[in-house]
Amino acid sequence: MLFLQQLINGLANGMGYVLIAVGLTLVFGVLRIVNFAHGEFYMLGAYATYYAMSLLGLGYIPALLCATLLMAVLGVLANRFFFAPLQKEHEFTILLSSLGLALLLAHAAEAVFGADPKYLDTPFSDATFEWGDITVTQQRLLVIGVAVCLIVLVYAFIRFTRMGQMMQATAQHPEGAALTGIDTRFVHSYTFALACALAALSGALVGPTTMLFPTVGDWAVLKGFIVVVMGGLGSISGALLGGLILGVAEALGGSYISMGFKDAIGYAIIIAVLLWRPHGLFQPGAQR
Amino acid sequence: MNRWQQAALPLGLLCLAPLALGNDYVLHMLCLWALYSLLALSLNIVVGFLGELTFGHAAFFGVGAYTSALLVMQAGWPLWLAPLAGAVLAGALGWVIGHVSLRIIGPQFAILTLGFGAITLTITNYWVDVTRGPMGLSQIPAFAVPALGWDFSRAAHMYPLALLLLGLVLYGCHALQHSRSGRAFVALRENPALAASIGIDVFRTKLLGFVAATALAGFSGALYAHYLRVITPELMSLSYMSAMLIMVVIGGKGSLIGPVLGALLYTFMLEALRSTGSWRMVVFAALLIACVVFLPGGLVSLWRRRPAQGKP
Repeated sequence: MLFLQQLINGLANGMGYVLIAVGLTLVFGVLRIVNFAHGEFYMLGAYATYYAMSLLGLGYIPALLCATLLMAVLGVLANRFFFAPLQKEHEFTILLSSLGLALLLAHAAEAVFGADPKYLDTPFSDATFEWGDITVTQQRLLVIGVAVCLIVLVYAFIRFTRMGQMMQATAQHPEGAALTGIDTRFVHSYTFALACALAALSGALVGPTTMLFPTVGDWAVLKGFIVVVMGGLGSISGALLGGLILGVAEALGGSYISMGFKDAIGYAIIIAVLLWRPHGLFQPGAQR
Repeated sequence: MNRWQQAALPLGLLCLAPLALGNDYVLHMLCLWALYSLLALSLNIVVGFLGELTFGHAAFFGVGAYTSALLVMQAGWPLWLAPLAGAVLAGALGWVIGHVSLRIIGPQFAILTLGFGAITLTITNYWVDVTRGPMGLSQIPAFAVPALGWDFSRAAHMYPLALLLLGLVLYGCHALQHSRSGRAFVALRENPALAASIGIDVFRTKLLGFVAATALAGFSGALYAHYLRVITPELMSLSYMSAMLIMVVIGGKGSLIGPVLGALLYTFMLEALRSTGSWRMVVFAALLIACVVFLPGGLVSLWRRRPAQGKP
């Protein structure tokens, strides 16, 4: 029973990681940017939901939607001011710029919101769902449900809509896409808006399962990196599998080996993956 | 560089001038500056010379600090030998980690070193029997020469020593930069394929630079431990890593004076802005972004531009 319970917990955490990683992998796939600041949008999404509920008195779901919309706008601005000017630069420069943005947002959040932990209380966080000996909070079920829906939606969006196909074209060959009349700058903004909205949504959904600190963005982006590297940078289905594997491995490792080294499991996995299959577990070897 | 060689002696004397003030607080800041400069110079070998972005450098700083402190406290090693052992162990770890991760290029290298750094931090945090975990080590013995009354935990005594070591390391970095290996670093930073075509062993050259950088980081960590006499696993965290990157990038990566200047700016601005609390890191983050976007060569590039503009 312990095993099943840990498996369910792991899957729930894993779906949370998937939500974080999908935005990260989208930005890498389309813009070739490893965005260190992605976790900060997760953090800001969770805080925005918290303040929309406590200051504006909104319900959980409207607050979550407001936070998502706000972060989409912020994502467009971040792209406009921090990433678009460096589009032609070396990836090293862009990585440094995103690190700067991450530090800026995390410390500004600490200065404005305070370093003390907040607790994002939702109607679902105390209610549980029991099935035999297995207990799951409704919040975790909500994470799983929303994540599954979102991944299907994002996948379908990229596959079948006009905008999604424009994103694919830009990812494959920016100049070629521009030549066929695609406004690649608009596609970049759009991708950033989508990625940051997804990050904010994951913050609003996963945030209530833990305490909320201004430094939670570090945690989020590190988990996102692990998942994205495992699944292959730029791959959405890879992120799905990678997230679930990480969640389950952490839950089982945490309960059977040692709680303290739980966080190290993910790093051990990516080191192994990068050395063995540098393009991700589920990618054909030579593809870039 | 000739101008710098001529300026070295007067500059060194100028740096010694604060000793006359006898203000312990200022001297303590200057000691930190010299120690951070060593650290920034070591990161500069990877970031500036090799042109690779590493996020695991703080781990080597911490490994050097812990190794030296533990060897002295637990194993009774002599104080002059332990920092060297710290450097050797950090360099050996750098060799192992470099050996596996330098084959990976691009952003994956940065993520991989981030992973190694995080694992080192986790081990230090949870290996409580040896490292005392998050409590850290305190009461670390300081360097001392009792016969002459020298006690290097005092800023006034440590500062000349730190300055001397900084001078030696600067000279070493200068020699490295102008050696065959140093020129190979720059060649493979600019174009790895072309560098390989003229007979540079890309992987071994990178590994050489990485080991040198990590050993130096370990050495500066050991000095830091014996000067401040308190260390915690925090030394290996991302906040130290970001601080180092800020020093190197704002000062000017790839130059020798840049990291030293960056460390000076960081140490003193951090103190000047202490009253602003969390906002001070916001200021540094903004400076980092501004440098990346508008001044990729860092502060030292302001200097170099002037004579170039003066010429017709």
